[in-house]
Amino acid sequence: MFRNSYDNDSVTFSPQGRIFQVEYALEAIKQGSAAVGLVSKTHAVLVALKRNAEELGSYQKKIIGIDSHFGIALAGLAPDARVLSNFMRQQAMSSRLLYNRPIAIKRVVDSIAEKAQVNTQHYGRRPYGVGLLVAGVDKAGPHLWEFQPSGMVLEYKGAAIGARSQSARTYLERNFEEFENVDKDELIKHGLQALRDSLAQDKELTSANTSIAVVGVGEDFVLYDGDSVQVWLDKLGETRSSRRRAEEEPATTEATTTETTTETTTEGAAGSSTEGQTGPGGPAGPLDPAGENMDTTE
Amino acid sequence: MTSIGTGYDLSNSVFSPDGRNFQVEYASKAVENGGTSIGLRVKDGVILAVEKLVTSKLLVPQSNRRIESVDRHAGIVFSGLIPDGRHFVSRARQEASSWRGTYESPISVSTLADRMGGYAQAYTLYSSVRPFGITAIIGGVDENGPQLYMIEPSGSYWGYHGAATGKGRQAAKSEIEKLDLKELTLREAIKHAAKIIAVAHEDSKDKEFELEMTWVGLEETGGKHVPVPKELVEEAEKWAKKEIEGDDDEEDEKMEE
Repeated sequence: MFRNSYDNDSVTFSPQGRIFQVEYALEAIKQGSAAVGLVSKTHAVLVALKRNAEELGSYQKKIIGIDSHFGIALAGLAPDARVLSNFMRQQAMSSRLLYNRPIAIKRVVDSIAEKAQVNTQHYGRRPYGVGLLVAGVDKAGPHLWEFQPSGMVLEYKGAAIGARSQSARTYLERNFEEFENVDKDELIKHGLQALRDSLAQDKELTSANTSIAVVGVGEDFVLYDGDSVQVWLDKLGETRSSRRRAEEEPATTEATTTETTTETTTEGAAGSSTEGQTGPGGPAGPLDPAGENMDTTE
Repeated sequence: MTSIGTGYDLSNSVFSPDGRNFQVEYASKAVENGGTSIGLRVKDGVILAVEKLVTSKLLVPQSNRRIESVDRHAGIVFSGLIPDGRHFVSRARQEASSWRGTYESPISVSTLADRMGGYAQAYTLYSSVRPFGITAIIGGVDENGPQLYMIEPSGSYWGYHGAATGKGRQAAKSEIEKLDLKELTLREAIKHAAKIIAVAHEDSKDKEFELEMTWVGLEETGGKHVPVPKELVEEAEKWAKKEIEGDDDEEDEKMEE
């Protein structure tokens, strides 16, 4: 049943000094849909791809506001993320109550990191199965942190987690030098472009499956879901991944693309996601109205 | 490895027939894969330095610090599992703070090392926990002057003039042994610290790294553990680079002879 005798729990080191249970928990992040975060001098942005378990079902929430100055995007086990976000809310509130000031982003991130570390050192616990991007603004400006189940936290200029996030990361690595000096709208556009590259062959960004959140210096954390996202998708124009465009555009009559990668949804209910979008080889421009009008749970 | 397949290496707190605790040994393996950390105890203070491997160019430079203060007068650097290190540091802070609460004075570095050694040891006693996957170097100044200790996953610790741990510890140690630590001042030692980390990095040259350095000096920093100013770090790095190139040239000349 087990792959080796060192991966049964998180209190056993392998002879190489690895803790397999923690490494497996990191894999759980990849089961979730992608989330992207990025920062400029003035703003921090989160964008995420939502999944629905069935066509008529609602989409699983991917971005959660914590306090008026920061929020998170998640990939992996959503219930674990809710536990962590509740904890962060407590931390944020107690900072306001005790010190009458919004909590510094690093402080709140460190607090969940320490919480997560304990789960990797004690028997009978399991590591959290979720990765988070924490974006916010504090006295020192905008920040973006990545949180991992191992208890590792790192500050990034741009980061992507979840399924196919490598493509989004590649986009970020190629463009991050521009981020610093762009305005809010441009930063969101960069985020959506990165997210777009992480899409599966037969998917595209729609107002139903895309979440956007922004926070800026002197601007509260705002979450855009559903119809309010359409404005930015219009600005973006192209909603398919660049890889798919490259494949489709040279050939006008293409065979039905067979999607080989099997997806299992970790957040949301079980089963593969059937989203109400244009199928393989479908029309590129207009969005599926069924997908567009689908309301979200937020 | 004789440990594998015997069944004695699957749980913490279990002795093998020849009296070893394999899980503690495996924890040390985690340390050996981490970036190199060093500590130098010199005439007028202590320097802590670490080789921070840059895993992505999207990381914010100078953020993600690895050396932390425990109290005003002491700091900790560690190699191994970083989250374990963070927890270790947070415990050290509690120890330092509770000492102040009780005795209204800063905790001595030897006491801090003793407390933290005990804490690490407790994690080797029970099958319900695993040992810390870190080796920590504690540096600070107290009534006995500059002090430097290194704590291993087993909980054992020693005092040092120069300590090194992590992947490049062997190269770092032989580099430290060349120094006359008792006579060096902090200002001179930061250059050497930069060089030691650079030399320790030679084996993984394809990966980029960032040098992070802190110090605590009797006079230099007024007894406070603080980051070494940016200009001084840059100057030390420049000097280290030149030195290493010089060393290489010398070796080349010898080869030619």
